[in-house]
Amino acid sequence: MSGKTTGRWPVFLVAMPMLGLLVLPVLALLFASSPSDLAAGMKHDLFMPALWLSIRTTVLSLAIVVLLGTPLAWWLAVASPRRRRVVELLVDLPIVLPPAVMGIALLQTFGRSGWLGDWNLSIPFTTTAVVLAQVLVSAPFYIQSAAQSFRRVDRDLLIVARTLGRSRLGAFFRVALPIARPGLIGGAALAWARAIGEFGATLLFAGNMPDTTQTMPLAIYTALESDVRAAIALAVVLAGVAVLLLFALRFVWSSSSGRARVQHGGGSPS
Amino acid sequence: MCRSCGFGNWLLSMALIVVFAGGCKDGDEPKTLHIYAASSLAEAFRELSHGFIEKHPESNVSITFAGSQVLRLQIEHGADADVVATANPAHMTALAEGGHVGQSRVFAHNTLAVVVPSDNPAGIQSFRDLPQAKRLVVGTDAVPVGRYTQQVVARAGQEYGAQFVQAVQDAVVSQENNVRLVRAKVALGEADAAIVYRTDAVASERVTLVPIPDELNVRAEYRIASISTSANAAWASAWMDYVASPAGRAILARHGFEVDG
Repeated sequence: MSGKTTGRWPVFLVAMPMLGLLVLPVLALLFASSPSDLAAGMKHDLFMPALWLSIRTTVLSLAIVVLLGTPLAWWLAVASPRRRRVVELLVDLPIVLPPAVMGIALLQTFGRSGWLGDWNLSIPFTTTAVVLAQVLVSAPFYIQSAAQSFRRVDRDLLIVARTLGRSRLGAFFRVALPIARPGLIGGAALAWARAIGEFGATLLFAGNMPDTTQTMPLAIYTALESDVRAAIALAVVLAGVAVLLLFALRFVWSSSSGRARVQHGGGSPS
Repeated sequence: MCRSCGFGNWLLSMALIVVFAGGCKDGDEPKTLHIYAASSLAEAFRELSHGFIEKHPESNVSITFAGSQVLRLQIEHGADADVVATANPAHMTALAEGGHVGQSRVFAHNTLAVVVPSDNPAGIQSFRDLPQAKRLVVGTDAVPVGRYTQQVVARAGQEYGAQFVQAVQDAVVSQENNVRLVRAKVALGEADAAIVYRTDAVASERVTLVPIPDELNVRAEYRIASISTSANAAWASAWMDYVASPAGRAILARHGFEVDG
């Protein structure tokens, strides 16, 4: 309200330090390597297998997070605050715990001497382990953001949809989901970003094996041991790929949500 | 009114940050000796530091453990170190060529060994049984322990035949970035066997050592040097003397290192 009269410059000045802190290291990383370094980094033996593995695993883990996370997020949005509080805390736990601890926790669950060890699942050291680790560390970001945007969906709209003959599920898919979509997209993008950067849990739970478990962050860590310039080049490429994919995700999903809104606008009178 | 109180809150938080940041400032007294050491030296150097502080009660020792390559990177980028000890002569040579360290000296040797979990699920009794492992964990060739492992396996191939090498390579499920991660996989019971430094095998109660025959084994050379820019040169050389002293050598030997004399 008073935003216009206050003037934006003072706010901008106060906001600058944080922005600088966020952007400076990324800029430094960009300028640390020349184009020829970058080309050499992309030709590095570890690069292509790791990039491909990272893309494969994070797409899969994001799908799992959205499929399994959306119902939980919806429950969090509609449950009574008292019941919700404990569950919310449990959902946030993976954010608070160091990733390496999550890796050990996963081993204690799925490892040979873990709780499910007698089932002989043989998950550690496999690509499945990579995906599991990514799901675990990234899901909270999606669930929290999705629950928040579901909470903003007006319940009356759902009731109206049901009186107009929609089933419970139909009301959810045709009304709640389109309205909450921006929050879901934001959460999914954040979760995806967290999954592609996943390092600590993967290192302990899945190990470090090219083609099977060596994702981009692990490849960078490995390259760091032999050739720092290659490691920086790999890191720049990872950052670039991540930024591109995040933009693409936001662009594709937000334009499709725009279409959904138009459809609703056109569909309601009939 | 509300605006100004919001600004007041902001100012207060900034003041708090400044206060806390001030509290975290590097206010170490000059007598703190900063040692950068290879991961495999962890237990031995921790015990050495206790002995050193007993001998020099006015001193204080802080040790950072990491892979030799990471230590080198940190020192090349101006890490606040006084002494560096590496598990691989190549990194020490590179540091010397960059003018970061003074004259280095060899203070210990290490060899490789196989470790298996206490329940030994793959039944590995000797080095020759290694192909029985279904899950073998080694170091990546980017780190010294991984390169030494390759040398040992290649030599074993000449002795036991090419199938040995093939079977061992097929059993590898992970190539870890440092020797402690290699050992951890066995200590956690997830791997059937791993190849680590002898000292790492000795240091953990959760793993059982299976020796590698001397004729196939390698000798890793550990070097120590003081950092050229160190402001604690006197303490740095006192530390190096202590490591080379009979007391220091006894500690190193107790942790599985080979020391001369």
